[in-house]
Amino acid sequence: MAEDAKKEARLHIEDMNCASCVVNVEQVLKNVAGVASVKVNLATGSATVQYDPSQATLVDMKKAVEDIGYKVMLNTAQLQVSGMTCASCVEKIEKAVSQIDGVSRVVVNLSTGTARVEHDPTLASLAEIKRAIRELGYGVEELAAGTALDREREARQREIRKQLINMAIAWPVGMLVMLGTFQPYWVLPNVIPDWMNNKVYLFALTTPLVLGPGRQFFVNSWNGLKRGLTDMNLLYATGIGAAYLIAVINTFWPDAGFGGREATFYEAAALLIAFIVLGRYLEAVTRGRTSEAIRRLMKLQPKRARVLREGQEIEIAAEEVQLDDILVVRPGESIPVDGVVLEGYSSVDQSMITGESIPAEKKAGDEVIGGTINKTGAFKFRTTRVGKDTALAQIIKLVEEAQTTKAPIQALADRVAGHFILGVHALALAVFVFWFFLGYQTWFSPESHLVLTPYSLTDMGVFGFSLLVSITVLVISCPCAVGLATPSAIMAGTGKGAEYGILFKGADAMEHTAELQVIIFDKTGTLTKGEPSVTDVVAMTGFANEEVLRLAAVAEKNSEHHLGEAILRGAQAHGIEVVNPDSFQAIPGQGVEAKVAGQAILLGNRRLMSERQIPVDVSLSEAERLENEGKTVMFLAVGNRLAGIIAVADTLKETSAQAIAKLKRMGIKVAILTGDNHRTAQAIAHKLGVDRVLAEVLPEDKAREVKKLQAEGLRVAMVGDGINDAPALAQADVGIAIGSGTDVAKETGHVILIKDDLMDVVAAIQVARQTLHLIRQNLGWAFGYNTLAIPIAAGILYPFVSQIVSPELAALLMATSSLSVTLNTLRMRGYIPPIRRGIVP
Amino acid sequence: MKQLKPGWVSAFIYIGISLIAAGIFLAVTIAGDYTWVARAGGAAWIFLLSTIILMPIVIPTVRKRLKQKDQVERR
Repeated sequence: MAEDAKKEARLHIEDMNCASCVVNVEQVLKNVAGVASVKVNLATGSATVQYDPSQATLVDMKKAVEDIGYKVMLNTAQLQVSGMTCASCVEKIEKAVSQIDGVSRVVVNLSTGTARVEHDPTLASLAEIKRAIRELGYGVEELAAGTALDREREARQREIRKQLINMAIAWPVGMLVMLGTFQPYWVLPNVIPDWMNNKVYLFALTTPLVLGPGRQFFVNSWNGLKRGLTDMNLLYATGIGAAYLIAVINTFWPDAGFGGREATFYEAAALLIAFIVLGRYLEAVTRGRTSEAIRRLMKLQPKRARVLREGQEIEIAAEEVQLDDILVVRPGESIPVDGVVLEGYSSVDQSMITGESIPAEKKAGDEVIGGTINKTGAFKFRTTRVGKDTALAQIIKLVEEAQTTKAPIQALADRVAGHFILGVHALALAVFVFWFFLGYQTWFSPESHLVLTPYSLTDMGVFGFSLLVSITVLVISCPCAVGLATPSAIMAGTGKGAEYGILFKGADAMEHTAELQVIIFDKTGTLTKGEPSVTDVVAMTGFANEEVLRLAAVAEKNSEHHLGEAILRGAQAHGIEVVNPDSFQAIPGQGVEAKVAGQAILLGNRRLMSERQIPVDVSLSEAERLENEGKTVMFLAVGNRLAGIIAVADTLKETSAQAIAKLKRMGIKVAILTGDNHRTAQAIAHKLGVDRVLAEVLPEDKAREVKKLQAEGLRVAMVGDGINDAPALAQADVGIAIGSGTDVAKETGHVILIKDDLMDVVAAIQVARQTLHLIRQNLGWAFGYNTLAIPIAAGILYPFVSQIVSPELAALLMATSSLSVTLNTLRMRGYIPPIRRGIVP
Repeated sequence: MKQLKPGWVSAFIYIGISLIAAGIFLAVTIAGDYTWVARAGGAAWIFLLSTIILMPIVIPTVRKRLKQKDQVERR
């Protein structure tokens, strides 16, 4: 498939509960002809599909997913269409709209003059759909639009409502069944009437429970199974089904040898359903909270904009704002899109995008960001980026994409979760065979009990006992916890990062950031402000200081190098007129060569002077003194004779030293990478307390320096300007692009810091470490739980304690296990990176 | 040649293997001292679990094989 022919769609999928669902959805989507790659994220409930539109359509993909029992949620737009007169208009509109790639379904109603369009907004925007209808000559207005986010929230609400209803049935009935079952024990005969222990009564209570709230497990597992797919529902269905079946047999055919009338498992079936439904309810509630960050970002997108058209101020939908429109923003309003202020003055709260808590002052010429809030004054601005190009849209896309990616640490969990259900069934089979042929005869004791119950196993035959243990194994195992451990934490972590203006481009970036050993900072513009100024001019015999500065400024006049610009500014500050040079040539990493009034001028570092064999010995002591002060020294030669030296110094950013000190305290080695000579670089390194200096590095060699450190077995991050340092950022294990501003899409780094603040490097590492810490805890819990619980359920302790775990206790443990992972992840909600709390990490 | 339906072919295989597994179980129990209910119940449980284990393995494999075969024949 040609790369350029590929398209990407993001499907929001409802009803995915566990890691097996992820495997199932990935599998069916990969089987659709034309689909090149699929990434499914359980925590976000989404699938990112790359496909060839000439072979696969959104409809094919939707059908494939829905065929295995999941629902695909698309945006639904309700449009009011005017100008339709007959049935052919309907056909025409339906045909035109359905041909747009990304439209799944379109239904036009002639009598009401409306159109209902289901579409994937990443492929077909509403504006595109409306344009297609307008081009046919009809008028179109949006009535109501349901975004995928709204639909996802609705779906979650539906799931919560559904499980609440199920709980309202399952819990009271389950408690009645349990009380009835245990009526003969303890003091219960004194308080509970005998008839409540009647097996037919228990049957009458349990049956509606199995067919009502329990039905979902049977239907879902059958839907998957008939297509060769398994999920968590299968474990529940087998457990509940088997317990219920044995109970029914023992009720109506007590002599059949399944343990008799006293060995009914109605309470097991009923409480299994109750606990599983409780688990699903709590998960639906809590899982919604892990995606709060992205939800909050999406909520920032303003719906309306006030635009100036032909001198009139009119209100339109924000997505219909076009480039170069003039918009008006009043105090308290959200800024609809990105732009540049034309007139007016105000302060704007940009904290939601940049993480900067202090409002930014905006005046004519300043940039404003869509989604931020205008606080005080009113202003007009010209739009520079609209729709999917706005900073907010790019950030949302970046965070969403990051949340869809998988961390390397997840590979093991995926492998386990993918085979978990089958593995557990195979284990249940083995456990059954073991207890049937060997275990029961060897260890069974009629006095044995189920854990935490007085329920005696006296009458339990070999089949009943083996089956009970086998069912418990099925019920206690919990692949959900394994599947959710990593993606839910990544989701919470990337969201938390975005809150502080730290954008992780993927789960791997997050993991690598947490494991960094060395951070290399590009000096100019990263540790320093990137605005150097001339500090010293030393003229050699026969030249005046002003002359040296003038010649240097003329030579650098056409240069774009920041040192050249500093010299030019220095000359202008001294009122020196700077004429154009006759010729100019930049020598990368060394300096410049120019001709001024017939004189050959060279301005650059020692290497340039040495290559051109210009003696600089006379100025060396002075140059060294300046370099020891951390200044960059340039030598000026006129006609092959040294004319003077010029020292330029850049100011360190306020937070540089503090950030480096904190990084070192976190156990990370810090290095500086610069084109300056060793002496200057050392002086700066000394000021900042940096361990290692990589000096005199040419721009093209930066990536090689990173590679060298990696060859030492170190995990290296490079912090720099996302555009100039792109190769080094790409080479590093983690490229951190700092101060990207709002154009995040252009950045090459793995981590993007919107603000130009080195403290955010520390914050990024802290967020990543906390996320990885959560992942490790989650995985430890999930694997630990299953490793411990499954053998216990299989009866490994029975020979010693004569007790086995009951299926209902197994269900409780399983539900708790899955929930504990989600709850642990939710701790990230209240997390504030220590550096932002003002606490030393 | 008439096309084989993957669903039927798969069902034939997984049901067949599961029946064999249940049959083996039954045969082994006959040698021991078990009630007929335990034998039948056990065989049914073995059959059910074997089917559940085999379905997700057999169905995609058969579907893939038949698809490959179909592609070869079309060429």
